[in-house]
Amino acid sequence: MAFNGMKRWAVGAVAATALMAGSGLGFMSQAFAADKVLKFVSWQKDERGVGDWWASIIKEFEAKHPGVKIEWTKVERGAFADTMTTLFAGGTPPDIVHLASFEFQKFADNGWLADLDPFIKKSKLDLNNWAGQEKCKWDGETVCIMMLYYGGIMAYNEDMLKKAGVSVPKNWDEFIEVVRKTTKDTNGDGIMDQFGTGHETKGGGGQYLAEMISYLLDAKASFTDAKGNVTIDTPQMVEGLRRWKTVVKENLTPRDLSAGEVRQLFADGRIAIRIDGPWLYPIIEKAKPEVRPNLKLAAPPFNPPLGGTSNVLGIASEVSPENQQLAWDFIAIATSDQFQSTFATLASSTPPSPRADVTEAKKTTPHFDLLIETQKAAAKAGVDRIPVGLEIQFNEFAKMIKEESERMIIEDLDPAQVAKTMQAKAEAMK
Amino acid sequence: MNQHRTIAPSFTPRSAPARRTFGLDLARPSRRHWLGYLLLAPAVLLIALIIIYPLFVSVDMSFQNVGLVRLGAPRRPFTTINYERLITSPEFWMACWVTFKLIVVVTIACFVLGVGTGLLVNNKFRGRAIARLFVALPWAVPEIVAVVIFAWIFDSSFGLMNWFFIKLGLVNTTINWFSDPTAAFAAVAVTMVWKGYPFVSIMTLAGLQSIPEDFYNAARVDGANAWQRFINITLPCLMPVLGVTMVLTILWVFRDFSIIYVLTGGGPLRATQTLSIMTYEQAFSFFKMGYASAVGVVTLILCVIASRLMVGRSAESIY
Repeated sequence: MAFNGMKRWAVGAVAATALMAGSGLGFMSQAFAADKVLKFVSWQKDERGVGDWWASIIKEFEAKHPGVKIEWTKVERGAFADTMTTLFAGGTPPDIVHLASFEFQKFADNGWLADLDPFIKKSKLDLNNWAGQEKCKWDGETVCIMMLYYGGIMAYNEDMLKKAGVSVPKNWDEFIEVVRKTTKDTNGDGIMDQFGTGHETKGGGGQYLAEMISYLLDAKASFTDAKGNVTIDTPQMVEGLRRWKTVVKENLTPRDLSAGEVRQLFADGRIAIRIDGPWLYPIIEKAKPEVRPNLKLAAPPFNPPLGGTSNVLGIASEVSPENQQLAWDFIAIATSDQFQSTFATLASSTPPSPRADVTEAKKTTPHFDLLIETQKAAAKAGVDRIPVGLEIQFNEFAKMIKEESERMIIEDLDPAQVAKTMQAKAEAMK
Repeated sequence: MNQHRTIAPSFTPRSAPARRTFGLDLARPSRRHWLGYLLLAPAVLLIALIIIYPLFVSVDMSFQNVGLVRLGAPRRPFTTINYERLITSPEFWMACWVTFKLIVVVTIACFVLGVGTGLLVNNKFRGRAIARLFVALPWAVPEIVAVVIFAWIFDSSFGLMNWFFIKLGLVNTTINWFSDPTAAFAAVAVTMVWKGYPFVSIMTLAGLQSIPEDFYNAARVDGANAWQRFINITLPCLMPVLGVTMVLTILWVFRDFSIIYVLTGGGPLRATQTLSIMTYEQAFSFFKMGYASAVGVVTLILCVIASRLMVGRSAESIY
């Protein structure tokens, strides 16, 4: 009995020790090793290319700051705004704040983002000609650093175009001819299974707006002017809306798919033309072997090309001054010439820094010159889906534009009438 | 005797001060229920912390004109502006109408299917165990998995449903399931019914098994046919179960978020925007926390009224 009792006690002690070693002690050793932990929440953690770039920054930061660890957590893009709102509202914001360029304004307006000007001044970071950086000014303060301002590209399926007897489009008229001729029912079952182009028509207003904006820009339309006055009810916007209506109403794009699904369909050889950002290329690279040789890239047929701001880095205003300084050190690494150069190579995207060395990226990414060219063209034209003066209400504005555009398509409304409605609703939001 | 005398005085003085120290004699018959309260206290405190406190915060927030909020921030002035805006908002009434339509359609369909399948698998036949498994299967499938499956079934360009309809000659061209308000509503309702009917079925089956066989034997002796036995015995005996099931189903439709959010996001043209979707959108897309709280509070009141009416009615109409 006594022996059994002792045996049980010994087994229990061993189990408890093992448990402690596995969890408790592991945690303790981590806590001892890292005196300080900086929180960094991002949706890009597992993204091929850009995720590797963030990992390289973390590695560099931790090497330069012994005893400081970065706790990098992934939150899906779909739940990102909710999570960040909850973290800030609960008083536990991440030290390093990563946000989309269309959502940081609400956080800045609420005073949740620190003024970066003293850090920029102290570290002598030159942000002249930094692509899209002017968008990071809020109430006269720099509240973030732009991490990506992209230019759009046109990816096309050469084989589909050849079979349809059309060439690569250079303008709207050629584009609509190509997408009409390449939209087909290839197996004769009465259902279209090959599409001229592809757009997300499901999901949030922000993405819907990004999908339709190429047509509006090419028609020289804009939602607001430089002073923030609403300029929707114009002949240019009516023309832009008419083009969008044509593409969707004539089913030249598959309906009700997300942008990710549309990109995959393009890679699967079911869509002839897709106009998108630089992130399309990694998906093209993973296309089926029989489709991959047919997928080519060119400049978009629209002028100015699709482009705009993507995501920003900032610092939470309510974390301690010590943590703010550490978060700035992280940003300083991300914005350094060295890491802006590796951004081009790893993420196959155009870095916002004008000092980035893209020689290596040009070797590894064959279309890199095209990306630079469209980025410059978009930046020169001041292209961005976030209208000036409606930054705070952007989500609501984008939802309204989506709904009125859907109404135009579903109820077959005149684009002129729709532009008037949009104008009135946008003015009411301001 | 002497022994008794020596033991008794020494025992009494020791135990009396101990009682006075704690001030709570749980052994006394009149205070035995206190132990119950003590044991319940942690659970009650936890519930208060995770349900009642947020509820209180939500109600409080609905009377403030706030956007993004921070816990511990100074309270904004009291206002009824959120409720005024709510009452005059066509979007809110549209959401109420959509919620009502969805409740009616989904609850009726779930009950017809659920009671039907429940009655079916209550009979003795070969393969009954497998039939019961298939009836209950949708209930076991995680909601998000079911929604993704239905999203592909209803896909406008490559979905099974369009292919099926065209092959059967029901339509000439594809239906844009999520771009047409009526079709989107139908797609959401079908998905909800598929996910929700097994619950009714399982509850019906449980209710059927509690009906004494003697009732049916007596009815057979009296010459009652199957339909008469169903109307006069099965249905009345099932009423307590069906009443509670109906309340739970209605509340589920009221609250459900993921099916609608993943399938349609409340669109197109707000044709599938229920009160839950509206609450979420106002809070996390437009960051209007005060207004979203007002929608949430109204939804809560509607839920309480609906469940109270249903529970009261079903309780009265049983035997």
